[in-house]
Amino acid sequence: MKKSKWFSIFLVSLFGLFFMCPTSNAANTIKVGIVDTYTGPATTYTNDVLDGFKLAVGKINAKGGVLGKKIEFTTRDEKFKPDIGLAMAKELVLKEKVDILMGTINSATALAISDFVKKEKVPFLVTFSKSDKIVGEKGHRYVFGMNENALMAGRAAGIAIGKKPYMKYWIAGDDYEYGHSIANNVWENVQKVNPKSILIGQSWWKVGEADFTPYITQILAAKPDFVIVATGGSGMVNFQKAAQATGFNKKAPFFQHTAIEASTLVPQGQNAPEGVYGTANYLFYYPDTPANNAFVAEFKKAYNRFPKVGALYGYMAAQFIAEGFKKAGKVDKERFINALEGMALDSPVGKLEVRKCDHQLVLPMYYGVTKKNPKYDFLIAADIETIPGKDYMPTCDEMRKMRKYKQ
Amino acid sequence: MSQIFVGLSRTVILFIVSSGLSLILGVLRIPNVAHGSLYMIGAFMAFTISKVFGGGDLGFWLALIGAPLGVALVSLIAERGLFQYLYEREHLMLLLLTFAVSLVFGDLVKIVWGTEYKSVPVPHVFQGFVNLFGELPFPLYNLFLLFVGPIVAVGLWLIVNKTKIGKISRAAAVDREMVGAVGINVSWVFAIVFVIGCLLAGLGGVLVAPTVSVTLGMDHTLIIEAFLIVIIGGLGSIWGALLGALIFGLTQSLGILVWSQFGIVFPYAAVIVVLLFRPTGLLKSTW
Repeated sequence: MKKSKWFSIFLVSLFGLFFMCPTSNAANTIKVGIVDTYTGPATTYTNDVLDGFKLAVGKINAKGGVLGKKIEFTTRDEKFKPDIGLAMAKELVLKEKVDILMGTINSATALAISDFVKKEKVPFLVTFSKSDKIVGEKGHRYVFGMNENALMAGRAAGIAIGKKPYMKYWIAGDDYEYGHSIANNVWENVQKVNPKSILIGQSWWKVGEADFTPYITQILAAKPDFVIVATGGSGMVNFQKAAQATGFNKKAPFFQHTAIEASTLVPQGQNAPEGVYGTANYLFYYPDTPANNAFVAEFKKAYNRFPKVGALYGYMAAQFIAEGFKKAGKVDKERFINALEGMALDSPVGKLEVRKCDHQLVLPMYYGVTKKNPKYDFLIAADIETIPGKDYMPTCDEMRKMRKYKQ
Repeated sequence: MSQIFVGLSRTVILFIVSSGLSLILGVLRIPNVAHGSLYMIGAFMAFTISKVFGGGDLGFWLALIGAPLGVALVSLIAERGLFQYLYEREHLMLLLLTFAVSLVFGDLVKIVWGTEYKSVPVPHVFQGFVNLFGELPFPLYNLFLLFVGPIVAVGLWLIVNKTKIGKISRAAAVDREMVGAVGINVSWVFAIVFVIGCLLAGLGGVLVAPTVSVTLGMDHTLIIEAFLIVIIGGLGSIWGALLGALIFGLTQSLGILVWSQFGIVFPYAAVIVVLLFRPTGLLKSTW
């Protein structure tokens, strides 16, 4: 008897809590729902996206918000699992009634959410997934790419490497979608720029491979002129350590996408190998412009570290959300999308445009080589070449052919 | 030839970790899934110790001693606090418990060390490489690993076969009631064996740290390999662990040489071949 009494009191208070909960007034805020991986190694990248986003939103709200409304955001941890990510996106859209979705580093999740937002007609800004299917083959009106993808990175690097006088190439990488996609795109474009180049061999290892030494000795035995290494995540550091230990970087020049990025170089300190070629969308010390320096100073003040590439993606996503609604004139999803198409905004790396044809942000790509620098206690990129977006991005015609969904 | 030596140095780490796993499996009958987590904790502790002492050589040598001891302490707490109550339960229960513990350890590591990659520098003495056979470079650090491996193997053999605790634990593995009946505190014998096994996991973690990025999730890859090694070697057999690690490490490095595109398949193919012909593992298992 007593038990059931307490139970009913508990139930009643639960209902009370439910109704008392401050349901956010849709009229006064613009709600952004962020689904991303906040557990596991991927957080090296995703925390920067979130921090960059927070920084920009804080500034926008301090100035009175957009259309008199504050930008409000909620995050969900998808734990790098597509099924969880999709469930969270559904919850954010159907229950929390968010106006916009953002995320995620997991390509499979991004593609699943993309399918869902197409049905629900909610804009979705993709901030770190590298699959080129997101704006390519599976692209549609409601999805936007705010970062480079494997196709773009591969092309940019292929163009830069192809100009060099290398002949014999070797491809090595993580044996899954991202690895093959990057490697094939680099190699295809090297061949286009330098038709005489030949591939003398390739090696593929399992994702998460810890010891690269056996692979390196094998590659060295074949004496290639240049090695394209397509690995990601913690493999970046593992491979560079093995390269340093074997002197690989001195014997055969090699390329890794994001090799020059702070996420890869900062953890290794002074012990990272010199002479590794890499590409990245963002470097906090380059270009040395007032806009970039101001962004770095602001980020460093807020979080006491240098911004990595994700910070730029998050920061710009917030800017585009604010400016998009401003241009739309009211919080309306369809008008927001129309406003965003073709919109260009100033960023730490110059003016960035969202292309109308494929909803992809046009970003510059930096190609450089790792080098010690007395100013920092870790290696940075030297001999940086800027490859503007228009030089390496697939054209709108190509994108239209790739897309299954016709606008 | 160089490839064989590279394979051997990888074998050393696999052997150290899986011999610990095998020891625990043989004496305590615990399929300890959390073993990989202890290896990861060892690597993270090595990072911290090395960093506190300026990231130089001193830091590395102190980490080599300190981190395994730290891991031993963690494992002692886990054994006294949790595992000792479950020795009599079914294997499935133990498996679930150790799996749960591995998840908890994973989260603890995240809370203590955060999610960024960590890197332990190779000590100055072992930086660089030598040209052992012809022109192919062989990292000095791997040479050091080849030196450490036999020391651990012989040391472990001495402990298990020549010391009192080794003899008692071997007896306890066969008949724990009888050992208890002659007046030995079996519970503490088990604790000591467990701690020694985990110490080996920690040692493996420290030794691997300079060659890889220390990161969350490094436990998962290793634990699968370690279990496969223990299975092909014969459950609970230390020499089996050595043999298993040799097969695993060598087929991998030679596989890469033979058919680089599918190098990863070879160790697993070797496991299948072994199990087809000797389902109980190569050496006599204590199970």
